[in-house]
Amino acid sequence: MMHLLSKIAVTAPSLLAQTEAPAAESRELTGTFWLPEAASTSAEATDFAFMAITWLSYVFFVGIVIALVYFVLKYRQRGNQVVYQADAPLHNTPLEVGWTVLPLLLVVAIFFMGFKGFLDLSTPPRNAYEINVTAYQWGWSFKYPNGATSSHLVVPAAQPVKLVMRSSDVLHSLYIPDFRVKKDVVPGRYSYLWFQCDEPTGIVPEDEMATTATGHHLFCTEYCGTDHSNMNRKVFVLAEADFEQWEEEQARWLDKVSDEELYSFAGPRIYSKCANCHSIDGSANTGPSWGNPTSGSLAGLGEIWKRTVEGSTPVTGGTKGRPGTTLADYIGSGKLYETPEDYIRASIYNPGEILVGGFGPNMPHFRGQLGDRAIDAVIGMMKNLDQFDAAGKFVGTGG
Amino acid sequence: MSTIDASTPTAVAPAAEPVDNYLTYTRGFLSWALTLDHKRIGVMYMFSVLLSFLVGGIFALLVRTELLTPGPTIPGVDANLYNQFFTLHGAIMVFLVIIPSIPAALGNFVLPVMLGAKDVAFPRLNLGSYYLWIIGAICAVASLLYGGFDTGWTFYTPYSTTTSTGGVIPVVIGVFILGFSSIFTGINFVVTIHKLRPPGMTWFRMPLFLWALYATALIQVLATPVLGITLLMLIVERVAQIGLFDPAMGGDPVLFQHFFWFYSHPAVYIMILPAMGIISEIISVHAHRHIFGYRFIAFSSVAIAIFSFLVWGHHMFTSGQSPLMNTLFSAITFSVAIPSAIKVFNWLATLYKGSISLNTPMLYGLGFIFLFTIGGLTGLHLGTLNTDIHLHDTYFVVAHFHYVMMGSALIAMIGGLHHWWPKMSGRMYNESHGAIGFWLVFIGFNVTFFTQFMLGSHGMPRRYYDYQPEFQSYHVISTIGSYIMALGFFWTAYYLIASLVSGRKAPSNPWGGRSLEWQCTSPPPHDNFKTTPSVGDCYDFSVVHWDEAEGGYVVDRDADPETRSAH
Ligand code: HEC
Ligand SMILES: [Cu+2]
Ligand SMILES: [Cu+2]
Repeated sequence: MMHLLSKIAVTAPSLLAQTEAPAAESRELTGTFWLPEAASTSAEATDFAFMAITWLSYVFFVGIVIALVYFVLKYRQRGNQVVYQADAPLHNTPLEVGWTVLPLLLVVAIFFMGFKGFLDLSTPPRNAYEINVTAYQWGWSFKYPNGATSSHLVVPAAQPVKLVMRSSDVLHSLYIPDFRVKKDVVPGRYSYLWFQCDEPTGIVPEDEMATTATGHHLFCTEYCGTDHSNMNRKVFVLAEADFEQWEEEQARWLDKVSDEELYSFAGPRIYSKCANCHSIDGSANTGPSWGNPTSGSLAGLGEIWKRTVEGSTPVTGGTKGRPGTTLADYIGSGKLYETPEDYIRASIYNPGEILVGGFGPNMPHFRGQLGDRAIDAVIGMMKNLDQFDAAGKFVGTGG
Repeated sequence: MSTIDASTPTAVAPAAEPVDNYLTYTRGFLSWALTLDHKRIGVMYMFSVLLSFLVGGIFALLVRTELLTPGPTIPGVDANLYNQFFTLHGAIMVFLVIIPSIPAALGNFVLPVMLGAKDVAFPRLNLGSYYLWIIGAICAVASLLYGGFDTGWTFYTPYSTTTSTGGVIPVVIGVFILGFSSIFTGINFVVTIHKLRPPGMTWFRMPLFLWALYATALIQVLATPVLGITLLMLIVERVAQIGLFDPAMGGDPVLFQHFFWFYSHPAVYIMILPAMGIISEIISVHAHRHIFGYRFIAFSSVAIAIFSFLVWGHHMFTSGQSPLMNTLFSAITFSVAIPSAIKVFNWLATLYKGSISLNTPMLYGLGFIFLFTIGGLTGLHLGTLNTDIHLHDTYFVVAHFHYVMMGSALIAMIGGLHHWWPKMSGRMYNESHGAIGFWLVFIGFNVTFFTQFMLGSHGMPRRYYDYQPEFQSYHVISTIGSYIMALGFFWTAYYLIASLVSGRKAPSNPWGGRSLEWQCTSPPPHDNFKTTPSVGDCYDFSVVHWDEAEGGYVVDRDADPETRSAH
């Protein structure tokens, strides 16, 4: 417990800003030869069914292979002449009925085993703790009842948890192998997934979450494009008191950051949600680099005007109805955006409105996730890009 | 000299090769390109399918190599390119290789000869299906010029209707056209089997390969149109922006999955049923033993064909489909397990008191039983509701369907290729070379795919460019297996080609088979049989003898009570 609390305490601003991003810890498969360690209350039934079927399979497989090898050795024809045995049976009704009925009984039993487990999996208990999940290309946003958001899943222990999931673009599927649960996230529908995990796992500071061996894996298992395999996140399970503390701190952390530290401390933390697609050192990615030297860097927002804009976007803007080709046509008094800051903010809340030339409509919107202070922090970071290294770490004016 | 009259025993070996065989009957490019001869069309299919197999295989090797390490492995291959690799691998293997491989390639060659017929019922339609296949394949290649496609072979919406890769429409048109090729082949086979059976061949005297092709043809004709219309709807949505599947336009993405699997589950049986037919032939011919439980095997083919239409929802247990539907689909899925199990037991019983030659085709036949058993049993884990929730869309599924589609369907097709190779080419390949090839493929296959069961049950999702470091050792083993398998296939290609150049001339009946294709010369004459041959019990091996002078087996027809009376 103390250990856990000290880990949470690490999220205090000054400490976090100084911790080195750790190298990935080496990891081994957990559990048995067939299954990873089970960590949810429903996993036991699933594992029982899995192993029962596996043992049944061993029996049939070994039986079949032994018969096969035995017959081949025993009745092997040496040389070319056929050794015909006139008494070889052509059929045998009792035998054939037998090997039809026996498997039939077995599969009926297996079916019921799976059915029982499945009913349990598909009925979330009424008192479950609800977390809203939005899947997007390519990440997850978990939103808690008190307004806290997180890109990794943190849940209370010893309490049923229900995920209410939706997708903001294509199909995704949320899968936690250690819990043996999985459910597709379908655009235009809500889907539910529930589990209960009794063992707390502890938690690590936010910038270590992606690489730590602590916690359980969370994967996307429905193919969704380029970074499908990078939608993996972590599930951290906290004892109730710790969870409440985490949730509170997660909802309020931005308010506690002082104005002086807003862009240097909060900036990188928010940038971690963007780093998948936006670099700051000019290198190409899914989205335009914030420090792009050729088509206009966002640094200081000075060169932003140079950015070209997709001609075909359905924007009536431009200078009074004239479709623009560069951002200069859209930003300025009387135009679509008054100031560059307005443009940045609109890009974050409503990314499809104007597309940067050469990029597709792939950015998820962050409405409801990033408030005014968060946007201020991001813009502050953009204006001072030279104070951050390529990984988005604040290095100050000296670095 | 003309061909041996099929109704007389081949007591005397033909000293000289008959001039009239289907390969030399006419010459020149056009004589092939415009041929109506089912055997030539079968050979052209075989060549095209094997070429596609090479291409699909290269993509598989690229995928496996990329997965040697987490993150980037092959220089220059990023996630987008990798996504195209596995998509191309899947689409090529399913639509261009496995679906046409047995019916269109081997079936075309063997079916009319087994019936003692001169050709299929509609030879022109047959050539037409081949050219549709070519056009479909060209569309698929053209899609690469338009930027390729990265949708996975399943084309799930709304990703497929929104992805920026430009090749989606060409390839979908290609698959649409391939569907028609498949439908036409199906119609042709159904009519041929109904109308062109020789006197004396009742339904229950047909070789089991024909039963299997018949059941397959029914699925092809009934299921493929659904795929066609689904793909058309996908194109309409992508081009005309009419919302059918994309919720952003008021459509329903799960509807696409229903449509897609309504075809693609039966398609699994388009792949596996004819494979089972081949295995029934191989096992009984090389064990020189009457097939055990003929009627059970024949009926189980038809039963599987019918059930195959009722289980598509088992691909969608996690899709949000109602629990009631999931339950029904799970229950019906188990019912397919029964006829499959029956077949395995029957094949085993056929070995009992047989006279087993361990020729290369037989090795493949026995290999099939081994691999299909694993593929089938692991299907139980996936048909069971709660375990599927855990295993769905992981490598466990990848391993399972490779055991069924490759380990079973493709292995059977390679076995069939060896079984009928002497008939098709007129040459014998080197037996010990064949055995080496088999063991390389068999061992390589198991090393590649068995590891993937453990990957999947430990939670490794499929279609991943990057993965967690703890999965790496299994991935490395799997990749090594794929190299062994590739070696086996290249080796096989080598000795088969070598046999064309320097192989011993094949006798009419190299294995001691009794069905009609072993009664005409190898290779068969242009119109197979001069007169309609008489039909005995095609699984009665009591009258089959080795003939040293012939270098093959002969059927002592006078000892056979059935054909004697037919004289
Ligand atoms: C999934 C990839 C992705 C993520 C994650 C993402 N973006 Fe974007 N972003 C894009 C793409 C693609 C574009 C260009 C197309 C457009 O303008 O919408 C873009 C454009 C922008 C623009 C317009 C910028 C310009 O350079 O002119 C801004 C500002 C922006 N993103 C900010 C953010 C912020 C802030 C975050 C994190 C909170 C973020 N993005 C996360 C993909 C992403
Ligand atoms: Cu995904
Ligand atoms: Cu299926």
